[in-house]
This record gives sequence, C-alpha cells and structure tokens, in this order.
Amino acid sequence: MYTNKKECVAMLLAGGQGTRLYSLTRDLAKPAVSFGGKYRIIDFPLSNCINSNIDTIGVLTQYKPFDLNQYIGNGQPWDLDRLNGGVFVLPPYMKGETSDWYKGTANAIYQNIEFVDKFSPEYVLVLSGDHIYKMDYSQMLAYHKEKKADCTIAVINVSIEEASRFGIMNTNDDNSVYEFEEKPKKPKSTNASMGIYIFNWSKLRKYLIDDENDKNSSNDFGKNIIPNMLKDGQKLFAYNFSGYWKDVGTISSLWEANMDVLSEDSGINLDDSAWKIYARNTAEPPHCAGKDAVIKNSLITEGCVIKGKVINSVISTGVEICEGAVVEDCNIMPGAKICKGASVKYAIVGNEAVVGENAKVGDTQEGMVDGQWQITVVGPRAKVAAGAVVPVKAMVD
Amino acid sequence: MNNAMSIIFASDNESKLNELTLHRTTASLPFGGRYRCIDFALSNLVNSSVTTIGIITRNNYSSLMDHIRMGRDWDLNRKNSGIAVFPPYASNTSTNVFKGKIEALYGILDYIENSDDEYVIITNSNIIASIDFDDVYEAHVASGADVTMLTYTAKPTTSKRVLVEKTASGRINGMKITQTADDNAVEIGLFCYLFKRTQLIKLISDSYERGKIDLEKDILQANLDKLKIYAYKVKGHAALVDDIKSYYRESMAILDTDIRNSLFYSAGKVFTKVKDSVPTRYCEGASVVNSLIADGCKINGKVENSILFRGVIVEEGAVIRNSIVMEGGRIMQGSKLNYAITDKDVRVTQDKSLSGSDNYPVVVVKNKIV
Repeated sequence: MYTNKKECVAMLLAGGQGTRLYSLTRDLAKPAVSFGGKYRIIDFPLSNCINSNIDTIGVLTQYKPFDLNQYIGNGQPWDLDRLNGGVFVLPPYMKGETSDWYKGTANAIYQNIEFVDKFSPEYVLVLSGDHIYKMDYSQMLAYHKEKKADCTIAVINVSIEEASRFGIMNTNDDNSVYEFEEKPKKPKSTNASMGIYIFNWSKLRKYLIDDENDKNSSNDFGKNIIPNMLKDGQKLFAYNFSGYWKDVGTISSLWEANMDVLSEDSGINLDDSAWKIYARNTAEPPHCAGKDAVIKNSLITEGCVIKGKVINSVISTGVEICEGAVVEDCNIMPGAKICKGASVKYAIVGNEAVVGENAKVGDTQEGMVDGQWQITVVGPRAKVAAGAVVPVKAMVD
Repeated sequence: MNNAMSIIFASDNESKLNELTLHRTTASLPFGGRYRCIDFALSNLVNSSVTTIGIITRNNYSSLMDHIRMGRDWDLNRKNSGIAVFPPYASNTSTNVFKGKIEALYGILDYIENSDDEYVIITNSNIIASIDFDDVYEAHVASGADVTMLTYTAKPTTSKRVLVEKTASGRINGMKITQTADDNAVEIGLFCYLFKRTQLIKLISDSYERGKIDLEKDILQANLDKLKIYAYKVKGHAALVDDIKSYYRESMAILDTDIRNSLFYSAGKVFTKVKDSVPTRYCEGASVVNSLIADGCKINGKVENSILFRGVIVEEGAVIRNSIVMEGGRIMQGSKLNYAITDKDVRVTQDKSLSGSDNYPVVVVKNKIV
C-alpha cells in the first residue's frame, strides 16, 4: 500500500566547518572534501544509506554549503531522487519571529522536527559526514529493534591509548550502556562512539524539546542528549561495529585514509559490487598514461594525464602530472596540476592547485607511525611558484 | 540550436563491423575506453541544445536500449522533448524491416510531423567527432542552403562513401557514391545533414511513394540541381567507424594528444552511461605507457599503446601491446596480446598469445574464453 510513512529517516549532520582540515575546508564544508580519487566524504554515509534501504535523508548544512548543495543536487547519483522521500538539504531557516543558526548537533535536529514528522517514522538514524566507512545500517536497526532499545549507539573497539580521544560507552554484559564518558582520562573500556545513533523518534523528539528548554545545554548529542537519556534510565545499547572506520577530521588522518584505500588489506575495499560507493560523475575521458609514465601502487581516476612518475598515491579526476614530475605518497585532489620536474612527497594537493616547474613540496619520511605523519598541504587553487620549496608540514594557501 | 530535432540511425553499414556487431548496433559499439559510438552524436546534440532526439533501430537493439535507458546520462530525461527509441519499422504490407533510410524515416513521419522545431538533424551513429551544431546552423543560414551536409577530409575506403564536389561558395554540385578505396584524401560526406523539417517531410513522402530507398542517392544526389545543398566541413578531428580496420585505426588515433583534445575538450563534454566504477588500481607489477585506461581496471602487467575499457584486469606478467580490451576483459598471467581487439567480458587464460597485425587485428568475440 502506498503511504508517505517511512520506517526510518536518516539525519546527516553536515554543517561542521572542519577547522582542523585548514585550507581544504576554506571554501567548502568538510563532507564535500574530495576523497579516494573520485569521491567526496559524504558519498560514504549517502551510499551506506541507500545500500541499507534508507531512502529518506535530511542533510543538515550550515557552513559554506554551496559546493555541498550543488554536489547533492536532486540526489540522483545515489538513487535518491524519489517521488516520496529522497535526499533533502536542510539549512537553518526563519521561524516566525525567531531564527537561529544550528547551535549544536541536537539543536540542528530540533530545528527540523517538522521535517522528520512529515514522514512519521518510528526511528531516526543520526549520522555525521566526517567518516570513511561502509556499514549496513539495516543490521543496526534490526539490532535496535531486537534489543527494544530507546537509543542504539554504534561503537568501535579502539586501543586503550586511543580511547581517551573518543566518547567511550561503558556497557554491561548485555551491551546495555550504563555510562558515557566524553574523552575520559582513564578509560574503563575501549568502545568508542562512532557518532552513529538510532533513536525511537517519539523518544528523541521529547528529549530534543526538553534539551531546547534547558538554557544551560550545549545542545549536543554526546554532551546532553545521551547523558540525559542515561540519567532517566532509558534503554541505551551499544552496537559493535568491526569493519573499517576512520575519522578524517585532520590532515594526517585524511591522508592516512587515502593511503588505506591504496592498501588492499586495510578493510576499506571500494571495489565491492555488493556495496558500491556512489559519487556524482564528471564525464571525463579515460585517463592517459604518457610515453614515459611510471605508475606503481596507485589509484588513477578518469580525466587524468600522467606523463611523470606516480608512486603510492591517490590521483583524483582530471589531474595532470607533467614530464619529469615525481609524486610519491600523495593525495592529489581533482583538477590539480603538477608541472614539469616538480617533486611532491607526503602531501595533499588541493583541488585545482598548481605546483610549478621544478618546485619541491614535502619530503620523504622515515620512522613515522600512524597519526604522526608530517603532511605538507597545498590548498585548493593555491599556486606553488616554479622552483619554490615547500618544507615538510607547511601549508600553502 | 534550440529550434531543431534530430533523428539518429542506430545501424548503418554495420555488416562490415563483423564480429563487433554480432550482438549490437553500430550505435552501441564500445569506443574510446568508456563510450559507445552513439555517445558522440548524443553529446554533440545535447551540447548544442538539441534535446528532441529519435533513434531508429534496425536489429540487435537491446544493448542500445540498455545503454540509453531514459537518456538521463545525457540530460535527456526531459518533461518535453527527450529521447525516443524506435524499434524497426515494418509496413503493414511487408514482412521485412525497412530497406533504407527513406523507408525508415517514412515509418516515423508522425514523430517528425508532430514536432514544432524548424529543423531536423539526420545523422548516423558511427561518427566520431566533436560537432558544434550552433556553428552548423549559422553556416546553414548564412549560405541560404536547403540542406547542409557535414563533410570531412579523408581517404575513401571500401565502405560506402559520398565524395563531394562543390563550387567556390560551398554549394555541392557533384556527388559520387562509391565503395572504392583510394589513397588520396578528398572531401567526403559524414552522413549527417541539416534539413528544414517541412521540406524533409515532403522529400521523404514523395520519395517513399515513388519507391525510393537511398537517402544519399535518391534524395540528395538526384536533386543536386533543385536543392541547394551546401557542405559544412567539420572542425577538428572527425572519423567514420564502419569496418574493423577503421574501428581499430580510429580507436588508436585517440592516443594522440591533439586528437584527444579535439574530441573531448574542444566543444563540450562527451557523456556516457554512468557505471560508478572505482578509480583504476596500478599494482607493483604495472608498467603502462602511451595508453588510455578507463576506471575500474586493475593492472599488474605491462600495457603499451593500448586502450583498456572499464573493469579490465591485467594480471601479473601479462603483456598487452597495440590492443583494445573492452569492458570486463581479463588478461591472465603470462598471456600476451598484440594487435588484438577483445570484445566485452573476454578472458584470455594463462600464457596464451594472440597476435594480429596493424591492418588485420585479431578479434575475439564477446564472452569468449581463450
């Protein structure tokens, strides 16, 4: 029977500025940042939704939304152009006398209660646009129903050293959560929250309204909604996820995640016909490897022209790498150009940036471990002059 | 040119493409690593604001239907206008499908009559070129032509060619229809025309009723004195693909930077069906030079002067030279290709060797295991 009703509506928090990505998010929101050659970060949660049979998604935007809005468009690349449902971009809006920016993650959903109500869902899935992962939300929803939970929080097992950087869920034997600690100095467990929540909508709706009425609240899921629900004895469960998951909120983690795509055993296999990651297509011709090209252990996307040497790198759509240029251990974003004789190592080169002839950007690194990479950044549309030297960890705007 | 509609012939001269069109129309022949031949015609039209497009099919058109679907990938899923695919027309009185373009056009005369566009662009689907129809239209109006015939300069081959002679002003005053190869390059018709719609309807009706078949011979050549037919020479690279030899030659031509720029970057983008492939992965054993590689490939062998379509796997120690490997091909360990064309989903098993020559590339048909 045809009905407007949806069992589960996803709300994707995409308003973050992503300050720790510096110039990469100068002109666009973090979820719109390029990733893995032909993707943007937001392709992952959007593709996960459609692959999990969730076809109604509100994308909450606030910071520099134009690129993101244009990219999402009518949602067709993700099969989200629907008669009923589909993808909706939800910026803050005027409400009678008052209007507010989204004050926090919970407030962003609060301001869109009317939107969610239109689909009368039983459940709301809250996602963020900051992570690279493949996850079947329908399994998490089944778990949520099985546990008869009020809220289910996806968690991933991290090392005890890392645990103090995350929100940690302390659970009983049945996986019910008895305590939530934000960045604990002495973590009691290693169940880190992935920022993915499923709520019973009627319950969340009430907590959002109560939270809004609390003038001291910072209107945040981790700081307010979850602790309040715990305090009231609501049923919160942790859902253990064991696949690849990475927060790409910093330069070095973004670079690392790109390198993970190169590695065939990192767990983030993009070439998976059972779980495709969709992206908006740019209609570029096949890439061209020139007469003197040397390409090893790299990903090359359509529209590229490679005449130089590319080793251990992710090269995005429409990048040109000229004769004699050397690119090693890099992520080169769409439309960038590396001119003749330039050397770019351990770097992220932003969209449409140009590295001039014989310039030297970054350098090789030995003895580094994950999380401590000294990555050099050439910002979007930045120009590195011919012959210039950009030292390790420097950022060119 | 927002006052024109277009009719594309999906199949013409296809007999000479042999194995490559066993299961498909010329229009859906894979070309250039990720395209089908018809993508060039469709993209040229769309880039020139022509959005009412009828495609006439003759046989084996399921691959074409699968490629075009609702036309969304060319932005042709319009409320008004958009794409219409016509299955082969057979009249009430005959059991065969249409014999020539005149009968085929007569079969869809309603479609042409129902349009309110002023012009009709009639084109084959085997033209590899970047054509700006706004420019064609300007030339058409400036010359005062009844019909503008698009031309290019090439050597005649053993496929049907229309050689044109023209006056200083560009009006065509001589046409020679031939299938004789010649080493001298001359001005040749591209099987693409701009007609005034009402005039086309009249010409088609009259010719059909008199039992005429051939558009070039019976309408154009026969009326050189009555119709003002002007030539418009296509700017940049242009080619007709209608036999294995031309398919191979014109495919390899795209390895040339100037030709590639002319086709893909001079006017507008060339659109095709979106497949959501991942970027191509080069492994440790990859050595790729002077080649075009589409997305979704995985390369661990040697590739030289070749074209790999989407999702091709080149295993360790495999060597591909001067070859075209279509979508989903798998060239297994230690096997060697030289001057070969392997159709979709061909698998060349370990240590096999396939070798043709520049003039006669060896062709492996779809789905075969070597």
